[in-house]
Amino acid sequence: MDIAIRLLQVLVFPGTLYLVAMALFLNWVDRKLVALWQGRVGPPPFQPLADLIKLLAKEDITTKGTPAVASALLPIAAMTCTMTASLFVPVGNDVIHSFQGDLIVALFLLSFPSLAYFLAGWITPSVYGVLGGNRALLQYFTYEVPMLLGMAIPAVYSRSWSIMTLVDAQHGYHWHLFVLPIGFVVALIGLIGKLERVPFDIPHAKSEIGAGPLTEYSGRKLALWRLTVMLQTLVGINLLVAVYLGGADRIWLQWGFLVYLAKVVVLMVGLAFIQVLYARLRIDQMAEIGWRLLVPLGLLQMVVTIWIGG
Amino acid sequence: MTEMTIPIGPQHPLLKEPLSIELDVSGERVVGGRVNIGYVHRGIERLCQQRTYAQNTALVERICGICSHAHTTAYCQAVESLMGLAIPERAAYIRVLMCELERIHSHLLWLGVLAEAIGFTTIFMYAWRDREMILDMMEELSGGRIAHAANIVGGVRVDISPEQVELLLQRLRAFDEQMAFFRELIDRDRSFHRRTLGIGRVSLDMVHAYSMVGPPARASGCDVDLRRDAPYAAYSSLAFDVITADGGDVWSRAQVRLQETIQSVRLCQQVLQELPEGDLATRAPRRVAPGEAVARVESPRGELFYYVRSDGSDRPARVKMRTPTLPMLLALQYTLPGLETADVAAVIAGADLCIACADR
Repeated sequence: MDIAIRLLQVLVFPGTLYLVAMALFLNWVDRKLVALWQGRVGPPPFQPLADLIKLLAKEDITTKGTPAVASALLPIAAMTCTMTASLFVPVGNDVIHSFQGDLIVALFLLSFPSLAYFLAGWITPSVYGVLGGNRALLQYFTYEVPMLLGMAIPAVYSRSWSIMTLVDAQHGYHWHLFVLPIGFVVALIGLIGKLERVPFDIPHAKSEIGAGPLTEYSGRKLALWRLTVMLQTLVGINLLVAVYLGGADRIWLQWGFLVYLAKVVVLMVGLAFIQVLYARLRIDQMAEIGWRLLVPLGLLQMVVTIWIGG
Repeated sequence: MTEMTIPIGPQHPLLKEPLSIELDVSGERVVGGRVNIGYVHRGIERLCQQRTYAQNTALVERICGICSHAHTTAYCQAVESLMGLAIPERAAYIRVLMCELERIHSHLLWLGVLAEAIGFTTIFMYAWRDREMILDMMEELSGGRIAHAANIVGGVRVDISPEQVELLLQRLRAFDEQMAFFRELIDRDRSFHRRTLGIGRVSLDMVHAYSMVGPPARASGCDVDLRRDAPYAAYSSLAFDVITADGGDVWSRAQVRLQETIQSVRLCQQVLQELPEGDLATRAPRRVAPGEAVARVESPRGELFYYVRSDGSDRPARVKMRTPTLPMLLALQYTLPGLETADVAAVIAGADLCIACADR
């Protein structure tokens, strides 16, 4: 019986089925809002799902010179890691598995898709793919440190490396966002870099290198990559909500889920708003922002956190 | 760093028209580039010799989808000077109106393309949305959004009623407010600055060496504008400023183009307010006495040059065009080395190439 409930948790809620549905929904929110703010109409609610199904049904071409096994395994591995990371990230009041140190495991698992993304471009014979892969790797070194710093600060503040304990520590609306605002900003910008959204959409800058690492991907593999990015967006936001915004605030079951949902959507709206505000940066400009601005800010917040002693 | 060659085009998300640029890059830096054109060559100059003078007006209009009216204006002017024909004053004013509306929509199109090249999709959407206002006006005036067929040899084909004048003036005012928004944006938006300021600089010497014309030349400090220097149509009786800047970079070009748009709105308003009464066209003869003529027009991208030779029949013996994109393409090849690969998009989009014009 216990195993059956566990399975249900992993496969339905708060696991796979919920995550995919929510990721598609967030993708729609993102696209629709950006469209409205740009004076367009935007897609209907089921467009992300329709796009996914269409891609899954399309012909899957492996270009000459691309190792077939690697190009098939990379998107699967990237998605697996993202889904595994989601096991430790609370959805509402629910979390599938929680232990001391799960924050580190989740962050580690979340960083693998970025490396897979780089490799995906690197192994194709296309120059756009290789250049995009190069940029993805450079970008990885720029955003990963600020993002890890941003996520580690609350852990240091509340003296726990378990996400669920961090949520509990914020009980009574003592959100980490209020005490550690700089840390939140650093983590959020790091997340935008990770998700490769404007202004950090450098590895797949359309007008420069086409689709970047994914130039040579089509059909099922491309669909998996797309889904991975959507899932990453959701898991990243979930993590931010849990670590900085107090998760579901320990409110009674269903209402707690709604509180969590509202926070996720608000963050998504924020991300979409940033999307319409900026032009794409160059990779050197991104590195400058990352290392000259975000890392010192993160370190400053860390020092202050350790000093005031939490 | 490893060297590689990045092909941009003939088909590429950056390009709106087929053009091939081979970039040699070392890491993220461009070390060389080759530009190849000719993918949309349609042999229009030759086709012109097989059609009558009147038919050619429709043909040259189809050289380009952006500066179609500039082409017909230049062609008609050349043929009219061959025939010794003077067009009615009202026709001259309407030609100016169409020319300036076309300049506005061309400049906005350019702003959108540039914004997309630097990844600023919001500006791209806004610029193209506002461009629709102008395209709508042109459609209401002539019946065509892109191919207006407004010019005929001897005058124009479209007329403007007094009600239309009022309506257009109203909408131009609304449009002017939109342009104020864009101008403020170019002045103040930091993320736009970061990707355009100091990028792809072209010096005044280079402008002279490559005979560059139009907004890119003016953005490098070359004070040249045919509307003032060699006035045609009704430009000599209208007031406007020639905009120059001295940066020579993509940002200066954006500045020049946006302020020119505002001048164009001013010109349109003057034309509508001072529109003289009279005929729309003088009757043109079918056959033309032997001779040759040239005409120059300030198209949205710069000086457009037409040469027409007649052998006494009803068809021209030779029609030759020189479009403003040609010197721009030559200069581009020498601007590319030394750039960051990420800036290539901004430089190519900032050059405002019209490949259909250049290839013909």
